[in-house]
Amino acid sequence: MTAPLLAFDRVAITLGGREILSPTSFEVARGELVCIVGPSGCGKTTLLRAASGLVAPSGGSVRRNGVAVTQPSREVAFVFQDYGRALLPWRTVQGNVGLALEAAGVPKAERGARIDGVLAKVGLAAHAHKFPAQLSGGMQQRVQIARCLAQAPLLLLMDEPFGALDALTRHGLQDEAARLVHEDGLTVLFVTHDLEEAIYLGDRVIALQSNPGPGRPSLARMLEVPIPRPRDQLTTKEHPAFLRLRRELFGFIEQGHG
Amino acid sequence: MAEWGARLRPWAVPLLLLGALELYARTVAAGSDAIAPPSAALVAWFGALRDGSLWQGTLFTLGSAALGLLIASLLGIAGGLLLGLSRRADASSTLTIELLRPIPSVALIPLAMLVFGFGLRMETAVIAFAAFWPMLILTRSAVRQVEPRLLEVSRVLGLSPWQRGWKIVLPACVPRLFVALRLGVAIALVVAVTVEIAANPHGMGYAMMIAQQGLDPALMLAWLGWIGVVGYAVNALALQLQQRVARAMGGAP
Repeated sequence: MTAPLLAFDRVAITLGGREILSPTSFEVARGELVCIVGPSGCGKTTLLRAASGLVAPSGGSVRRNGVAVTQPSREVAFVFQDYGRALLPWRTVQGNVGLALEAAGVPKAERGARIDGVLAKVGLAAHAHKFPAQLSGGMQQRVQIARCLAQAPLLLLMDEPFGALDALTRHGLQDEAARLVHEDGLTVLFVTHDLEEAIYLGDRVIALQSNPGPGRPSLARMLEVPIPRPRDQLTTKEHPAFLRLRRELFGFIEQGHG
Repeated sequence: MAEWGARLRPWAVPLLLLGALELYARTVAAGSDAIAPPSAALVAWFGALRDGSLWQGTLFTLGSAALGLLIASLLGIAGGLLLGLSRRADASSTLTIELLRPIPSVALIPLAMLVFGFGLRMETAVIAFAAFWPMLILTRSAVRQVEPRLLEVSRVLGLSPWQRGWKIVLPACVPRLFVALRLGVAIALVVAVTVEIAANPHGMGYAMMIAQQGLDPALMLAWLGWIGVVGYAVNALALQLQQRVARAMGGAP
């Protein structure tokens, strides 16, 4: 057993006097894809922001490779849900991807090839010279993913990346994301409010519940997903394990709302 | 046919007004020292074109407006960036700004005359003062309205503070800076002509005053109309520049 890439050690977060996340502990192993699911307002985005160092925990510590996370690092890439706001509208697709390389101080001569490489990976090679406003939502989100891949991160944090897309585009991007993650051996923490998406993508699913308090921890369930890869939008979702997990989490989410 | 009609329609009202003025000046106000028919103004305009006074006056006014606006933009954008990015700088300068800003720029003419004497420097200084405040205030608010998500992206990507300012904040401000610039262009022209009418013996405003004092209503009307045309042209150019930059920066086509 290798050391975990990411470790949450009794991480608690209070914002404006309200407890968002009660002390929560879990670990993410290298190469693992962990999904975090829960109703809106349960603190899943805040948890992800703490993993990136954008938010400092009020208690406990987040460690990456054994070192406490205190601020954002280039080893960690963050895919925001609102791709429309996270892209620079005045830069073309390749300019947006190039921003990650400029930040990392990659020499100008190397940038072109690396940009072409990641754009080919996400299927945007033909759109390198377009501006974000000329692309569909799904393509804009691919640009953001490409920018994150260009960072060559150890850890990829994704905050409901496909939440604003239509079902067909979402399914396509889910499969693409799963493929990219496994090709590059990335470690991923993936936040979603969609149960099926969490089970379909995850090696493990962590379920959070809202309004934590005494006797009601934020972390409600932690479930392994024993479904082999590669997964398939049709057959995986008919797999007995998928149905069992879905039922278990569904009941929990319903309780959360009740 | 319909296309020609649509293209000519905006000209209908100005032509009608000019015709009415022509008729009025030739009948009711014939021989007036205040009103001249537009046709006479056109003749006077050609006279000014021929003797070179037209370009001399126009270039002086436009030159000082441009120079004043340039100074105002450089100082205003730099100051606005500072105030927008640093809360401390903003808090320690708000009172000063609010005390200085309401001073009508024309009220500075006596002071500017004492300091710089007549000429380009005095006029430029008053224009720069007038246009500086909107540039400063609008740049400050533009910086504050930069999409917070983009600032987070710059943190996550690990951009240096310099890169953040140069690659994120400044380009994100450009659309709003152009609004400020177009406002500044209008202010600069108005103030330039005002300074020339009130004090500075140069430029289009002064030429108009001289025509008035020389009891030459045709020439005065010619300058008045010409100032309108120049103002229209400068604003149209600024608008075109704005649209071109917006397209180059990925704005909706």
